[in-house]
Amino acid sequence: MVDLSLKIKDFDLKNPIITASGTYGYNNEFDDFCEVNKLGAVVTKGITLEPRLGNEGERIFETYGGMINRIGLENVGIQAFLDEKLPVLQKCNINFILNIAGNTVEDYIKLAKIAQENDIKAIELNVSCPNVKCGCIEFGVNKQALYELVSIVRKNYDNCLIVKLSPNVTSAEDLATAVQSAGADAVSAINTVRGMGVKLDFINGGFKKTTVSGGLSGKAIKPVALSFIDRISKVIDIPIIAIGGICTLADVLEFFSVGAKAVQIGTANFTHPDIAEKLINDLEKFMLENNFSTLDDLQKKIQKS
Amino acid sequence: MKKNHIGTVENIQEINKNVYSIEFSSPTLEKISAGEYVSILCDGLTLRRPFSVANFENNTTTVLFKKRGGGTEYISNLKIGDKIEFSAPLGNTFTIENKKTLLIGAGIGVAPLFYLEKKLNEIGAETFFAAGFLSESDIIEHDFDFVSTDDGSNGNKGSICDYLEQIIEEFKPEKIVSCAPHPVLKFVAQTAQKHKIPCEVAMEKVMACGIGVCRGCVISLKKDGKTQNATVCKDGPVFNGEEVVW
Ligand SMILES: Cc1cc2nc3c(=O)[nH]c(=O)nc-3n(C[C@H](O)[C@H](O)[C@H](O)COP(=O)(O)OP(=O)(O)OC[C@H]3O[C@@H](n4cnc5c(N)ncnc54)[C@H](O)[C@@H]3O)c2cc1C
Ligand SMILES: Cc1cc2nc3c(=O)[nH]c(=O)nc-3n(C[C@H](O)[C@H](O)[C@H](O)COP(=O)(O)O)c2cc1C
Ligand code: FES
Repeated sequence: MVDLSLKIKDFDLKNPIITASGTYGYNNEFDDFCEVNKLGAVVTKGITLEPRLGNEGERIFETYGGMINRIGLENVGIQAFLDEKLPVLQKCNINFILNIAGNTVEDYIKLAKIAQENDIKAIELNVSCPNVKCGCIEFGVNKQALYELVSIVRKNYDNCLIVKLSPNVTSAEDLATAVQSAGADAVSAINTVRGMGVKLDFINGGFKKTTVSGGLSGKAIKPVALSFIDRISKVIDIPIIAIGGICTLADVLEFFSVGAKAVQIGTANFTHPDIAEKLINDLEKFMLENNFSTLDDLQKKIQKS
Repeated sequence: MKKNHIGTVENIQEINKNVYSIEFSSPTLEKISAGEYVSILCDGLTLRRPFSVANFENNTTTVLFKKRGGGTEYISNLKIGDKIEFSAPLGNTFTIENKKTLLIGAGIGVAPLFYLEKKLNEIGAETFFAAGFLSESDIIEHDFDFVSTDDGSNGNKGSICDYLEQIIEEFKPEKIVSCAPHPVLKFVAQTAQKHKIPCEVAMEKVMACGIGVCRGCVISLKKDGKTQNATVCKDGPVFNGEEVVW
């Protein structure tokens, strides 16, 4: 028997395979492909105080090794989440992390309080959504603003507080340090990388140009994520959850090697909707075959490499 | 029922220039209804590619597709016996009801209507199938009731839209179903509405998840006087033409 479990503060995960916000819905939507309640956790779509309709126009653009999205945080809002989505999570026994996003500090405080009142065991603050205008991005790039935001959310929320960082910044180390000093329990990274897709059609002697600007995700951003986590793991001690282009067991192990304790799977769920469950099985098999009895054993050994 | 399947290519043919017909079988896909679609994993690509079902029998799905970019290029190069991984069934269905139904297809949009026509005829519904193509060489072989080509090289000259009033007048449909490029769909839906004939349209959008979670493929619907988002991948691809905000 191998033990894949881990704990982040008091939040228990059966295994380190988590599905990333915005790519897995709110609860059991992937049940036709995966045993969702076997996952370490599901991170919900980003939830705001009020429902949002998201952006107009094309929202998706495939690129080499990935995709650009500009969904614009379309979501049902916190009330509908509590009324319609939370009961399903509970009924299906799905371990989950509530991802929240706000436009103002007030929004985050309110959302954190609601999470606390409903005894939600873990929240992930999205302080880095690249495709909401005048929105939360500001917190994610400014270490003072981020420190203040996380501190005040901390005061209003006692359970596991995870802060999700953006790669679109000048100093990853400063931001990670600010998050840790403000009392967060873990950092997750990275959110999408700012990018743009251009499609040119030459019709009737003229060019027709279509562009989609938003967040790049998928395999293409894995090196960006590896470097980001490698750098922040040298300056903080709280657990790091790695995100960015993870598709295979080899990817998972690479992220462990730069200091991650758990991983999130995003875009790969679209390519292989059964990938999350497969990665759990692959990890378990690898550990069995190579005599690692706990996740901690495995991670320590990899980090010494 | 699990929705990820590994199939085997049973047949693949280029039926017209850049248009292919592929048949693949899979023991795990037992049923798929008209209007529903499959989403095919293409080597080297991040997103699966959605295709309507043109026929289904004995665990074998037929898809007709036009070569457009990398995904359709990949599928067009598959050989008999090759494995093909896909998600299915996805999306909603056309309503199967015993009504005198006018089918309007343009270009590769005729594909899902083939399967619908078969299902309607099975329950004894009378159908009239009108199809529009750019030119004679683009015509997908089928026993159509009416054909137009933009350049007049075969059948009636002009867009299928030019003949819609005349066809409605003569066939007097109780229902219209259409799958075609956006401008044609819009025209068909608006014409149907003018004649107060119920109309179902099959829409297209670039998709990522195919199951309604990523919100990448939304269109606007107006329902009960309110505008709301709907996903083409899960709430659609089939919509009531009257509800779509064109
Ligand atoms: C529900 C549904 C059913 C469909 N059924 C069929 C079918 O039966 N036969 C068929 O030939 N095609 C069908 N399509 C369109 C088909 O999915 C696209 O042609 C295909 O995804 C293009 O992939 P590609 O990699 O070859 O081209 P890409 O390089 O991805 O794109 C080439 C061009 O096609 C457009 N395109 C890409 N993806 C889509 C998409 N999902 N929908 C519409 N346009 C797209 C792009 O904007 C671009 O202009 C359907 C689409 C949907 C949503
Ligand atoms: C369609 C889509 C929607 C997303 N929505 C959110 C969101 O609502 N909140 C959030 O924090 N991150 C969101 N993300 C970012 C992912 O959670 C993840 O950080 C990013 O995609 C990188 O991981 P990947 O390369 O494995 O996809 C979204 C990503 C995609 C592709
Ligand atoms: S493709 Fe994800 S919601 Fe439609």
